[in-house]
Amino acid sequence: MNGALFRHTWRSQRIRLALVSLALLVWGSVLPFIYARFGSRFKSLLESGLMPEQFARFGGGDIFTLTGTVALSVIHPICMILTSVFAVGFSAYAIAGERQRGTLEVVLARPLGRRAFYFTLLAASFGFIAIAIAMLLSGGVLGSSLAGVLEELPIRRMPLLWLNGVLLFGAFAAIGLAASSSFDRAAPALGWTLGIVVVMYVLEVLGSLWPDAEFLQPYSLFHYLKPKAVLTGAADVFDFALLAAVIVAAIAWTTVVFPRRDLAAPI
Amino acid sequence: MHAIQTVGLTKRYRAVKALEALSVEVREGEIFGFLGPNGAGKSTTIRLLLGFLHPTAGHGRVLGLDIVKDSVAIRRRLGYLPGGIALYDTLTGRQQLDYLAELNGRPPVRRADLCERLELSSDTLERRVRDYSRGMRQKIGIVQALQHDPDLAILDEPSEGLDPLMQRAFYGILEMLKAAGRTIFFSSHVLSEVERVCDRVAIIRRGRLVAVEDIAGLLARRRRNVMMRFEGSAPRLDGVRGVSNVESRDGLLTCGVDGDIGPFLAAISGSRVTDLTIEPARLEEAFLELYDESGEAAPS
Repeated sequence: MNGALFRHTWRSQRIRLALVSLALLVWGSVLPFIYARFGSRFKSLLESGLMPEQFARFGGGDIFTLTGTVALSVIHPICMILTSVFAVGFSAYAIAGERQRGTLEVVLARPLGRRAFYFTLLAASFGFIAIAIAMLLSGGVLGSSLAGVLEELPIRRMPLLWLNGVLLFGAFAAIGLAASSSFDRAAPALGWTLGIVVVMYVLEVLGSLWPDAEFLQPYSLFHYLKPKAVLTGAADVFDFALLAAVIVAAIAWTTVVFPRRDLAAPI
Repeated sequence: MHAIQTVGLTKRYRAVKALEALSVEVREGEIFGFLGPNGAGKSTTIRLLLGFLHPTAGHGRVLGLDIVKDSVAIRRRLGYLPGGIALYDTLTGRQQLDYLAELNGRPPVRRADLCERLELSSDTLERRVRDYSRGMRQKIGIVQALQHDPDLAILDEPSEGLDPLMQRAFYGILEMLKAAGRTIFFSSHVLSEVERVCDRVAIIRRGRLVAVEDIAGLLARRRRNVMMRFEGSAPRLDGVRGVSNVESRDGLLTCGVDGDIGPFLAAISGSRVTDLTIEPARLEEAFLELYDESGEAAPS
């Protein structure tokens, strides 16, 4: 860890972090209102059989229960896109972008080891993701409170949901940094990371909506984000462990590959 | 102790030999020029010294430390200006310098003096780097490399983009650093610049060291171009040691003089010289000759 680099990274991302956090706070607080206003109607609709059951299967997200609504806010594409600003965009650009721009050699000409450089960026990206997820869940609590349904929300389980979210997006950030440390240009690093995230999301959505494709779900990291299960007290330690293992594997890759890479003159 | 010492330092990329068995020593407190055309291996050498590249063979020491094992410790004591430096466009000049000084972990004790010499005013430093001209960026690059008063400065094409006045100011900075006992490793393809500021020069081509010479010695050995006018008959210069290419036309005698100029002066001492021009030996000519001897094309 390097304090100067850490502070510089936070300073450079502060406006983006503020905007993403604000957007997630608003997004997280909107859904409890929808639940409070239309939840019972949606539930009758589901029970009537008009709405396919699969709509309540993706990560357990639904609009008929407050826990399902909060879960939906976490797994919804809007949340994915906003959080990916850091989990994908920042991480994939962090090293390869500096390298492409030519500033990496200016920084690494200082008494700063490549591993220290990497771990500082990893810590920063985890910090951004931790704040973003915290703001999303805070929005859920705020919205529930304003909508008058806070008593339905198991607040004591929210930190575990936060951890589940941080581990998922942290895994993507670790993959993004691994890609970033492996390429000389930002575009391939961004392309690989984004590709992995999109393919995994498609696998999870496909498996959740189409029973014949259910076997694909375990191959997606999104499958191990289970907000509804966490909020209803049915969290599985394996989900957390698997996400943590992916993070460790990505860190191991980067700490081996990055220091051994030749950093030739920028093209 | 040598500031830089490499022994058989080699870098290959599969079949491409970027640097082949470079053995060179840079003494502490000298300004050492590293001269060669683009693609000769100058930047590869610098990147090996900084730990950006890993040597295929050979080894090197900077300030007594191993370039592979002690890379971070080396970088704690040096300043580096990359060729065509890239900066953070969204930061102001001052923020840039503050950030890089903070990364160095040493106070920027020379910043004020460097900024004054390079005419970087407070107003200029408060502007964002994206609004800077190429010359301004280069000035910031020079300041960031030297502001923490490093023991060794590695400068890759440092005067590129500077106007003649600022080049002169930069040479003054180098003289100041040398007087303070600092070592400067200076890569360039501008021969006149190397001639002006360096104590010794290494010439590299196609990844191989061609020569390491004292600038003074290199120039002393080189041919001087002489033009003379006489009253009366021209002196006989044929056979005089070091004199060659003697031509006489319309009262103007031209020749070349290599090495010791004494025999030539003795030969003309009996003549009545009305005009005499001796062009100083230029490194460029020495360099061209050196390349000619190697059967290679000289750099542009």
